[in-house]
Amino acid sequence: MSDVLTFSDNPQLAGELASAAASIAVGAGGKVFSVELDAVREGVPRGPVLLLKSTDPITGDDSRIALAISEASKRMPNTIVLIGSTKLGRMVAGRLAVTGRMCVLADVRGLKLEAGTLTGVRGVYAGKFNAKVGAPLPCVALVPQGAYPLPDRSAAMVEEMVVPAIPSRVTRVQTESSHASAVDLRGAKVIVAAGRGFKTKEDLALVERLARVLGGAMGASRPLSSDLGWLGEEYHIGLTGVYVRPNLYLAIGISGQLQHVAGIKDSKVIAAINKDKQAPIFQVADYGVVGDLYQVVPALLKILGAG
Amino acid sequence: MNIAVCVKHAIDEGELKADSSGRPLLQGAQAKMSTFDRNAVEEALRVRESKGGTITVLGLGSQDWKKSLKEALAMGCDRAIALSSPSDLDTLTTSYYLSRSLQQKGPFDLVLLSEGASDTYSGLVGPMIAGWMDVPFIGYARKVQVEGSNIRAEVALDDKTERVDAVLPCVVSVVSEINSPRYPTLLQIMQASKKPLEELAVDSLKDEKAPQVVSKVLDVAVQSVNRKKVLFEGPPEESAQKLLDALRKEGVI
Repeated sequence: MSDVLTFSDNPQLAGELASAAASIAVGAGGKVFSVELDAVREGVPRGPVLLLKSTDPITGDDSRIALAISEASKRMPNTIVLIGSTKLGRMVAGRLAVTGRMCVLADVRGLKLEAGTLTGVRGVYAGKFNAKVGAPLPCVALVPQGAYPLPDRSAAMVEEMVVPAIPSRVTRVQTESSHASAVDLRGAKVIVAAGRGFKTKEDLALVERLARVLGGAMGASRPLSSDLGWLGEEYHIGLTGVYVRPNLYLAIGISGQLQHVAGIKDSKVIAAINKDKQAPIFQVADYGVVGDLYQVVPALLKILGAG
Repeated sequence: MNIAVCVKHAIDEGELKADSSGRPLLQGAQAKMSTFDRNAVEEALRVRESKGGTITVLGLGSQDWKKSLKEALAMGCDRAIALSSPSDLDTLTTSYYLSRSLQQKGPFDLVLLSEGASDTYSGLVGPMIAGWMDVPFIGYARKVQVEGSNIRAEVALDDKTERVDAVLPCVVSVVSEINSPRYPTLLQIMQASKKPLEELAVDSLKDEKAPQVVSKVLDVAVQSVNRKKVLFEGPPEESAQKLLDALRKEGVI
């Protein structure tokens, strides 16, 4: 028997983890809890809640979260801890693994319990290959957004547990919410993204206009937000940037480096505009236009009545 | 300042090919210093430039991994420690041995590494090292500044940015936007071979805390790309119309 604890700082992902936990627990015969910290967040369906409280707030502090979850997992046999693959989630998973002497499976989907081993599938080598990985219980697994559906409704049960005071190791002097665009990109149904094929920063107005006409958000490949500095980091889509899952991803003037493609794989339809017929982006696209973006994009805008 | 920086010798994912059964051809595959680790080395050099001190670069591997250490020496690190392991290790055990060598060869005020390796991008070894050493961890720093016995950093998380303070010693992972790594000159590359590089077998570092559990890679296969790959060529107006028709048919616009 083994119990499953789940946690994510991202409320949507926290809900998805409840489904992931339920899928494992069916075979494991154990209990499932969605860990909430300090107070229960409202609005997203999730499993039975285990509310962890301490003398000080736990939310937002990776080492406090790790130790609080570790305290909770100690009271359960053979725990599997599922954590959402966010940046904070990775920090929590790392420290939790050392505290509890548990292995971590990173960025796994398709979780299964097979003879006392938790297995899952993850992308490796910038998503070029898939690896099936396994860890003995108890263990930690990081689960990416979009790997599991949201549960239909929330379970009503809330259990509370008070964990001992945990000293914070890092002082947060100032916290600011990111520019809204990163958040917009994660939830966008349509994304129009710009790459190196654009000659000047001003030309990105074409992308912005096309994104607006299609009711979508604008994104970019790394060179535009990093080397060229035309856009903020929050627009950067890819391995080290934002992962996106729109219905339509339209890449304009993007060659399709592995690191960029790693961030768009889960898009329903990928379309690309590039003047180089050999550009790798066409190998991962459903539809491609071979042509000069400075002619094709205005043509698109014109047909859409926004030229 | 006694600075340490950890680097990984990683398979060059861009060059990696699959065999006829879809398995990666790892034998003889090209490897290099993990892309983002160059930013960690660069940041170590910048901290030393402003605060003085020495930089030790550490890396764990089983074959050819000293190449990345030598590259870091050529970039300007002072000495290298090569942890040799008979086989590839998982993140928990890797971080354990790195932390053991940091304790044995330190004490270090600051341990730097990248946000994640270019081959796996798990981002776990940093917080794990901090866990083993029982020191603060600052993740995803895009700006760092050492002030006396403190470190201030600006970090970029998924939905927020934070300014944080911690007391040294501290483990810090940096994002690739933090700097542009320098390229060593030919002279620096030649001089690097004269810098001290010490080899340590991981078994010599074992103590009673060594992890008893390991995670395993059970199988690796090439990802299949199920995309339609329909190309439109010809006059821009016609291609644009065909693209919009196709996207409407898909129901995505």
